Amino acid sequence: MNDLGPIFRTLLRNKLGALLIALQIALTLAVVTNAAFIIRERAADVARPSGLDEPNTAIFITTLFDPKADQRQLYRDDLEALRALPGVVAAVPIQSIPVSDSGWGDDFYTTPEMTSDESINTGMFMVDEQGLATLDLELLSGRNFRPEEMIVRSLEKMESPRVTIVSKALADALFPDGDALGKTVYDEPNGEKPLEIIGIYDHMQNAWPSSENFEHSALIPALAMFGGQMMYLVRAEPGQRDAVMAAGEEYLARNRSRIVEIVRSYEEQKQRTYGGDVAMIKLMSAVISALAAVTGLGIVGLAWFSVTQRRKQIGTRRALGATRFDIVRYFMVENWLITGIGLAIGVVGALTLNWFLDTEYNTGRVPLWYLPLGMAALWLLGQLAVLLPARRAANIPPALATRSV
Amino acid sequence: MFSYYLRLALASMRRTPVLTALMVVALGLGIGAFMTTFTVYYLMSGDPIPHKSAVLFAVQLDNWDPNSPPTESAKDVQPQLTWQDGQNLLRADTPALRQAHMYAAGAIVVPESGEPPFDETIRATSHQFFAMFDVPFLYGGPWDLRADDDRASVAVIGRELNDKLFGGENSVGRRIRLDDNYFEIVGVIDDWQPTPRFYHVDAGGSFADTEQVFIPLLRAVDVPMGPRGNTNCWAPLDESLPTLQAFLQSECVWTQFWVELESPEQAAAYQDYLDNYAREQKAAGRFPRPLNTFISKVNEWLDVNGVVGDDNRVQLRLSFLFLLVCVLNTVGLLMAKFLGKGGEVALRRAMGASRGAVFAQNLVEVGAIGVLGGLSGVGIAWLGLRAVESLYRGYQHLVHLDPLMLTTAVSLSVAAAIAAGLYPVWRVSRLAPAGLLKTQ
Repeated sequence: MNDLGPIFRTLLRNKLGALLIALQIALTLAVVTNAAFIIRERAADVARPSGLDEPNTAIFITTLFDPKADQRQLYRDDLEALRALPGVVAAVPIQSIPVSDSGWGDDFYTTPEMTSDESINTGMFMVDEQGLATLDLELLSGRNFRPEEMIVRSLEKMESPRVTIVSKALADALFPDGDALGKTVYDEPNGEKPLEIIGIYDHMQNAWPSSENFEHSALIPALAMFGGQMMYLVRAEPGQRDAVMAAGEEYLARNRSRIVEIVRSYEEQKQRTYGGDVAMIKLMSAVISALAAVTGLGIVGLAWFSVTQRRKQIGTRRALGATRFDIVRYFMVENWLITGIGLAIGVVGALTLNWFLDTEYNTGRVPLWYLPLGMAALWLLGQLAVLLPARRAANIPPALATRSV
Repeated sequence: MFSYYLRLALASMRRTPVLTALMVVALGLGIGAFMTTFTVYYLMSGDPIPHKSAVLFAVQLDNWDPNSPPTESAKDVQPQLTWQDGQNLLRADTPALRQAHMYAAGAIVVPESGEPPFDETIRATSHQFFAMFDVPFLYGGPWDLRADDDRASVAVIGRELNDKLFGGENSVGRRIRLDDNYFEIVGVIDDWQPTPRFYHVDAGGSFADTEQVFIPLLRAVDVPMGPRGNTNCWAPLDESLPTLQAFLQSECVWTQFWVELESPEQAAAYQDYLDNYAREQKAAGRFPRPLNTFISKVNEWLDVNGVVGDDNRVQLRLSFLFLLVCVLNTVGLLMAKFLGKGGEVALRRAMGASRGAVFAQNLVEVGAIGVLGGLSGVGIAWLGLRAVESLYRGYQHLVHLDPLMLTTAVSLSVAAAIAAGLYPVWRVSRLAPAGLLKTQ
């Protein structure tokens, strides 16, 4: 590396130019590491499994606008028809969809003396005995609901459930000793509205991805009749979901006293719920690509220009015996040096920016291993960007030195 | 002189097309990205009702659970009121000029024409809503106090719905079917879209369309139409009552309450009035927490509700840094370009051009690059806003480039280019002509 000396001295002659690229690289590293960190955090959030059989589940939401209709009978008819559709594994009436950002939250009390700030918060889902099968939940212990346990919750009549099946996470939060099965919890303080835990299933998220208790969910055997909205979740055989959605919609739309508001795959619902995160992932990816493009093209432009400026000097070096490889190496080493300076500043910049974003907007702390990764990527970007102009420089004929002197 | 400089600038750009293109693209990307996030931010944090935002106040009371954490600011108190508190405040002898109690409901509209029925969100509110929020009417007008008290089946509909149901004709006096109830139309609202929709900023709903149907509040409860927005409860419902009655008398919050207060004195009087109301409720055994009542002006209210999200702020910060990278990039390229112009500059100086003239001429070239960058930035911002619109649902009122934004984009770009070019231009105008001429 006996080139280093001359390269460094040349850089010093154009300090400002080199410093500008270095600063640009520094800012790029700062933004790219933070953007990449945000992408990974959000992607990890979106990837958390809901517990449902996501690819094979469909959502139907209908609204009845004839108040004289017998809603209970309609539930029965709909379920019979939906369950009979070809390709359907199970179907269930439900009053809110897991991971949809809209649902019903409740507090469970394990003793009559417990106060509201000690109670355990959970999401509640009203289903019937096909709830476990439709939601793809595995019963770890206990039993399923029985048909005679079904209650009705309507504007006229608000019956209280006697039994509940809860997620393992909720069971453990309620009874840390792991003996939740068969225990009684209270839906309200002072020992009001007792419910028996008759079963524990493996895992299902509640409605709110931003909640601290996202894994707390509970099922109760109930039919919801608040207003005319009626929702169904249907689980199909693999590959049959779209056919089931079409057939289900066709069936539901036959009743003229209601409208079918939403027929949507569960996957699409999840994308919508996480819409803000998905958008952030895409925007941050766009920022990273645009930054890489601008910085890369900037390096290409500058190196190209500097080759044009130094044509005579390069020709002279070639005439004095420098090989093509020597010329290419010169530009590569020059870029490597400038990028190195930029990255050194950039590490400080990245950490400062992350500190700012974390204190102001709680983005979290970037793990330190992002830095060497980002540095390596930018070094590579610089080297690739300078390659084209450097090869152009290498093609300058030695004879050029003899001209116009 | 300017046009001559401009011609020189264009000739110079043509001589180094790649370098020029790189500068224009870099500036364009930087400006475009920044303008995209800035437009979203600017419209989100915009004043939805500029001529009245200082006299309209959202009302908060603290009826919440005594065991929940203490209240430090309006952000810690429920943003909505219970039904009973809203009704009590509305009926009492208030110091406010106008007031409105309301909630978001919904129903199925069944067109008389036999077209398929469809769902509409409905605002159930009291008659002063329209005057208070300065809602423009196309036909007819709001209902009156009597209609509120009589629970009359009257409705005000929006222009969009009027176009859909009645082909845009004056529909005052005709009727609209909501579920299985008929309402007489008394007014049609012209286009009206305060952004953000400040009067009901539910999570995710702050940029939603304004409702197309408005009906008297008590009539909506009679139907009954359940609330469509967030409903929060901390105390159990009274089970001895029918569910609806229990819900209306409960400590559940699901309604919004706004007042118009003309002067600081009136605002102070209203604050006293609210405090007195809260004390009365405490005396009656409600409001177990310390006395917390808040009135917030429109813009304070948007802040209390965090209408501009953290994600938007992060995007704005990062896109600004991105713009900075693009400007740095342009400075570097301009340096390279202008240093390469030493010969030409020397020649012009030798022919008698002053330093000032050389400086001005090159500045024109930099400015021209800035204008081109700004124009491409506007194009990129337009694409960026389309992308944002498709990424976020409910942003459709947020993503338009208004003339102010267009001029800002171009001026920002010119300013950025000139800032980027000032030093290179100064450097090149300081070059000693003699030395450079000799080497030619």
